[in-house]
Amino acid sequence: MSSHETIIKAEHLVKRYGDFYAVNGVDFEVHRGEVFGLLGPNGAGKTTTLEMLVGLRKPDAGTAWIGEFDIRKDLERIKEVIGVQLQSTTLFELLTVEEILKMYASFYPKHISIPELIEDMILTDKRKSRIKSLSGGQKQRLAIALALVHDPWIIFLDEPTTGLDPQARRTLWDIVLNLKQKGKTIMLTTHYMDEAHVLCDRIAIMDQGKMIALDTPENLVKNLQSDSAVEFRIDESAPFHLEEIKGVTQIGGHKDVQVLYTDNLQETLTSLIETASEKGLKLTDLQTRTATLEDVFIHMTGRSLREG
Amino acid sequence: MRAYWQLTLAQLRIFLRNRQVLFWTLAFPIFLMVMLGSFLGNGNGMSVTIGYVDQDHSPQSKQLADILKKNEAISLEKTSSKKDALDQLKQGDVQLVVEVPKGYEKRMKNSSQNEKPFTLPVFYNETDMAVSQIGQQLVYNAVDAVSKQKADYKPAVVINPKGVEALNLRYIDFLVPGIVAMMILSNNMNGVAGQIASWRERGILRRMQGTTLKAHTFIAAQITARLMLNGLQALIVLMVARLVFDVEVRGSWLTLVSFVILGTLAFMAIGFIIAGIAKTPESAGPIAGFLSFPMLFLGGVFFPIKNMPEFLQPIVHILPIAHLTTALRETMNVGATFMSLGTEALVLGGWIIGAFIVASLTFKWE
Repeated sequence: MSSHETIIKAEHLVKRYGDFYAVNGVDFEVHRGEVFGLLGPNGAGKTTTLEMLVGLRKPDAGTAWIGEFDIRKDLERIKEVIGVQLQSTTLFELLTVEEILKMYASFYPKHISIPELIEDMILTDKRKSRIKSLSGGQKQRLAIALALVHDPWIIFLDEPTTGLDPQARRTLWDIVLNLKQKGKTIMLTTHYMDEAHVLCDRIAIMDQGKMIALDTPENLVKNLQSDSAVEFRIDESAPFHLEEIKGVTQIGGHKDVQVLYTDNLQETLTSLIETASEKGLKLTDLQTRTATLEDVFIHMTGRSLREG
Repeated sequence: MRAYWQLTLAQLRIFLRNRQVLFWTLAFPIFLMVMLGSFLGNGNGMSVTIGYVDQDHSPQSKQLADILKKNEAISLEKTSSKKDALDQLKQGDVQLVVEVPKGYEKRMKNSSQNEKPFTLPVFYNETDMAVSQIGQQLVYNAVDAVSKQKADYKPAVVINPKGVEALNLRYIDFLVPGIVAMMILSNNMNGVAGQIASWRERGILRRMQGTTLKAHTFIAAQITARLMLNGLQALIVLMVARLVFDVEVRGSWLTLVSFVILGTLAFMAIGFIIAGIAKTPESAGPIAGFLSFPMLFLGGVFFPIKNMPEFLQPIVHILPIAHLTTALRETMNVGATFMSLGTEALVLGGWIIGAFIVASLTFKWE
């Protein structure tokens, strides 16, 4: 990898609907050949950011460059070098897989071999089937095939695995990693932690229209400064000061579940149990685990990703 | 160019695979034509069934029956018993009963100038006055012919009726061009509005906007595909009209096809405007209905435009449907040339240009 060649550069992108800022001044750079993830709950502004980059929405302020093209001026040139899979796209249901690929191929000056593309997307059996008859995973792979038909440099995938069963998700992950191996740059949005962790070289965490962190998944977790988490439930009415527990670096939690972050699991765990015993409190659902991206998010926003 | 053909092809495939839409868009006009054509269409004349009770059984009474039979409007039903014939009359199976009593021949042969004329009893049913009147007139004509023959009468003056258009037009001849116009109106205006609005709602257009496809290529392909399909559908309806009802195209097919194309373009453009205005596919239907329903009734599809109330006439005369029906009708019924239909072509052309300008201003991918 020509280590840090910038291929997408966003400068203070803003998208506003009335008084509501869907995207509120976002800056980032994407490097050639990496998988770049936008992670955040629904409504964080991930899709809006992505759609500004591909020219489907006009930014109210700021701009972005794809290669040397400005998204405000050179949209036609940009469309030739990017491939887009939009969230919940429907296609002409009465056409077959092969027909719609040929049709989309005709929209561009050049295209790759369609039989090979169908093969790569594991759709060879479904070549002659109507889109109507495809499963969710097959439809999603077709949507990605449509994004690839003109051999773009950069592929934008908006929530590619939302609504798919676990097996279909894994198939799709393989496809994304495969594309990366072929040297494509991929920018995707997701609200799945595990997906971001597996696929992405770098992750930008978004919340309420702002970018609150951007780093590799490993660094994001490391920056939490705690490698373990202790989760438990406790009767909320009891007076209990979590700060008293030894070795705790951060305190988190949502609803009635408490989470303690620590670098010294044994010390914290012992201290927690002792304190609880002294005060005669009952801990339930006690468990320990290594800290994840989810914890990073909770730590940064005070909310869980899935709460939205 | 490749994109244009691929999109046209895709649209044609979608049409042909959507069997239900294909069936109903064709079935409706044909059904309408067959229904209205069968009820109202058998020419302007009506036929009268006359019960004929011959009690004389003579060459003279046969001669009268033959004269009656010669009239195409009469179908003669011979019955031996007068009672049976009158029963049939009461039930409406026959509209009139003519009785030739015994002694008719004898009387005819021995008639002299001084005698009163022979009285032929004709029975009719008072509940069906209109037909009875016509039937009586027909029988009177036949009897009159017999009398004149007998008297060796030579008329001094005769009339020679001539229609201005020198055509024998039936209601079905009037109806078929109207139905073709109706098909063009609804398939294009309602069809385009519904389809584009729904494609937009489902994000199909948005996805295409993410490619290098140009809007004008997309619209041109839409128009091409619909022109091909509409041409074909109009042709099928005309073939059915031809085969079932013997409706002719008196003018040139080129003129007819030209007007089918003009009509298709005009209503497609209006459909694109509706698709632009409609916020959801659900609202596109009612908007299209709101526009098409009055047009069907005012535009001369089923009734001649001149039958419309006076105050509506100015409105009727700017409607594109009115000019389309007139042009199709003149071409098919009268055999008018394209040049003589200049006004209609101009008005439709005006609608096409105006509507496409508005459509391009209101068109949205999403």
